[in-house]
Amino acid sequence: MPSVIEIKDASYVYPDGTQALHAVSLCVEAGEAVALVGANGAGKSTLLLHMNGTLLATQGEVRVAGVEVSRLTLSHARRTVGMVFQDPDDQLFMPTVEEDVAFGPRHAGMAQDDVERRTHEALARVGMSHLRMRPPYRLSAGEKRAVAIATVLAMAPGVLVMDEPSSNLDPRGRRRLIAQLRSFEHARVIATHDLELVVEVCTRVIVLDGGRVVAQGPVRELLNDEARMLAHGLERPHILRHQHPH
Amino acid sequence: MHMADALVSPVVGGTMWLAACGLIGHSVRRIEASAKDHLVPLMGVLGAFVFTAQMINFTIPGTGSSGHLGGGLLLAALLGPHAALLVIASVLTVQALFFADGGLLALGCNIVNLGFFPAYVAYPWVYRVIVRGRYEAMRGSVAALAASVLGLQLGALSVVLQTQASGIAELPFGAFAALMLPIHLAIGVVEGCVTAAVVAFVARARPEVLPVADAEPVRSLRPVLAALLIAAALTGGLLSGWASSLPDGLEWAIARLSGTEEVSALRGTWHARLSAVQERTAVMPDYAFRQTPLSARPDGSDGASAESTTARADAPSALPLGTSVAGVVGGAVTLLVISWLGFVFRKWPRAV
Amino acid sequence: MAFPMAVERWLDVARMDELARQGTPVHRIDARAQTVTTLLFIGVVMSFARDELSALMPFFIYPVALMSAGRIPAASLLRKLAVAMPFAVAVGLLNPVFDTRPALALGPLHVSSGWLSFLSIMLRCLLTVSAALLLVACTGMQRLCEGLVRLGVPRVFAVQLLFLYRYLFLLADEGRRMTRGIELRSPGVRGVRFRVYVSLIGHLLLRAMARAERIYHAMQARGFDGRIRLQFTSPLRLADPLFVGGWTLFFAVARVWNLAEALGALLMKGVG
Repeated sequence: MPSVIEIKDASYVYPDGTQALHAVSLCVEAGEAVALVGANGAGKSTLLLHMNGTLLATQGEVRVAGVEVSRLTLSHARRTVGMVFQDPDDQLFMPTVEEDVAFGPRHAGMAQDDVERRTHEALARVGMSHLRMRPPYRLSAGEKRAVAIATVLAMAPGVLVMDEPSSNLDPRGRRRLIAQLRSFEHARVIATHDLELVVEVCTRVIVLDGGRVVAQGPVRELLNDEARMLAHGLERPHILRHQHPH
Repeated sequence: MHMADALVSPVVGGTMWLAACGLIGHSVRRIEASAKDHLVPLMGVLGAFVFTAQMINFTIPGTGSSGHLGGGLLLAALLGPHAALLVIASVLTVQALFFADGGLLALGCNIVNLGFFPAYVAYPWVYRVIVRGRYEAMRGSVAALAASVLGLQLGALSVVLQTQASGIAELPFGAFAALMLPIHLAIGVVEGCVTAAVVAFVARARPEVLPVADAEPVRSLRPVLAALLIAAALTGGLLSGWASSLPDGLEWAIARLSGTEEVSALRGTWHARLSAVQERTAVMPDYAFRQTPLSARPDGSDGASAESTTARADAPSALPLGTSVAGVVGGAVTLLVISWLGFVFRKWPRAV
Repeated sequence: MAFPMAVERWLDVARMDELARQGTPVHRIDARAQTVTTLLFIGVVMSFARDELSALMPFFIYPVALMSAGRIPAASLLRKLAVAMPFAVAVGLLNPVFDTRPALALGPLHVSSGWLSFLSIMLRCLLTVSAALLLVACTGMQRLCEGLVRLGVPRVFAVQLLFLYRYLFLLADEGRRMTRGIELRSPGVRGVRFRVYVSLIGHLLLRAMARAERIYHAMQARGFDGRIRLQFTSPLRLADPLFVGGWTLFFAVARVWNLAEALGALLMKGVG
């Protein structure tokens, strides 16, 4: 069985000439949770946008569930990979929460019954059914984040790709998010600065620096390596200091 | 420069609505044909941007007054004329609905004045003619300034024409034009400077977002035809405004020559012939409140008459006192009854 | 900077949206029915002679009825009316100047036809503006746009209205934060200089465009192919045609007969 996401030597150069990725290679297996960490500008967001074909690698290849992502296979990549963007306001553009969650299924051409069922299930899964008729701009940051996740769940993707899911959340919203992320059976790719969240949710870490993969490995092993973390503009998370891993 | 509902007659407002619908339909077709998907969110967000930008002012040095962004030409320069028209129309619609700027009847007028002229006249015929091909700072600034001024002047002239054709405001054409055009020349220069500076700013920061105008500007005949159509509509509006003033003048003239009985008889035939929209007087025979204002009708037709001076002198005495008091009393009582009904209505849904 | 008043305006928009989500009988009327009735109302009101006063009075029942049954507070409507009136007042005020012919005598008091038409303009302004505001307050932007599409307005335009409305608050907030930043760094200076203003607007514009690009990516990620699909479910109920028909009948009657004057004459006959 192929990896759900397989990236081989992918490089990307922005139209203005900036090279954001240098021969990046990585794999994500079904059901696992992988963290993507690195300082600002390390290329995390750019890499994520390659996973559903929003950006196409200038060199190298990106495979989603065994299919190479190209202009012709975009819809396959977008059905398989659900992308949760950093700012929920960019993702929630419809007039009501319900309309927004229904957007994906409806544009996949599903029948009205299926659209409704999926919408209800997705909202129930993130505990936001009571906000169905509300306009998105009236929600709290935590509610917006949960609804943004629901919009992606409604498309029944195999992989969830998230950019900074815990940014702007208050402690309670963050706790709820972590519990949800742990409960998902999907493969998860989470780009974040929140290393405590990484410890609680993920099993594997990929460290990016200057558009290159500089390290990857099990969470506790890698994040406990203080010298290496500092070298790439990161830190050793507090949560690990108070535990005794050996 | 929003045209207000209260100054627009249904004929003019309706004509402009038709023109606006035509323009929106045209731009929608062109946008759909262009198949530029990314325009959908871009147009929406830029509409919100224009809204926000119009709320921020800057002080004009030495005058104590302030200016802000107009938006029409900037949108055309960024999005092209079709998307720009649609964005302007949407901004005006939201303003009419939520802020009561302008109004629903005047919405068509406003879309034509503030959307058509900048996007379909000033942009293709001035801006794009000056900025040929890739944006270049000096030419771009001149183009933005000139096109803004022209767009606003045409819009202001159009406001004057629409008001005139509606015949509700009393302002003489010349005076109104002499008031509106210079004011909007000044506003146009200020808005033009802002537009030029903002376009230059965008060109420096992200040159790739400015569309490259074709080396040879496409001079489609359609906008010109649309302009002709609107001119025709305006003329038609003017004519109909003048025509609708005729029956009154006619009636007045006949009232001078004969007794009032015949006037009401004649009025009956007029009403038989004129549509309800054109109807100007109540036909209840007992309450003759309308008769005297009729004879003192200030439309051009009776003003031109040599006898109008005597009519003015006669007017008040010709009015039966009783009926005018009936109007005032009735109006007041009606308002009282309606406000009382308002309280009743307010209680009612709660009781249910 | 002119933001203080603007802030109030935004609060008002948000409030309108809240009002629109009530569940009164008026709010249950289909948006199409309300739109058609509103347009008809405005057309009929504007079709009166320009110095008509008393015959306009019965038309106040329409906004008053919507306001009461729809539980729309009069205060917020009046505030908006006050903002909306100036242009009409300014142009209308010239009517008494240019038209001094006497038109109406109330005993010794002679009123010129210019004043009559000025008052008439004010009345119409009140009527039409309140009708337009009540349309939104009783339907809300989403239902209204739905109604517009079903009345034949191009989908692209309705979607444009929805997007504009969706990002209004967000961009206004960005604008507010940026102007506040400038104000805090230039204490005691009234207003913004041109150079600062252009850079402010320019940055706001660039941010807006970057946001539009991100939204586009998010839309693509969920299968957007250039066409927004909207689902309309609300069917017409019996109340909807009744609403349109009832009001149309009333407008027609009040347009043909001057009800207020008839009432006045009746009362005076009773007294005398």
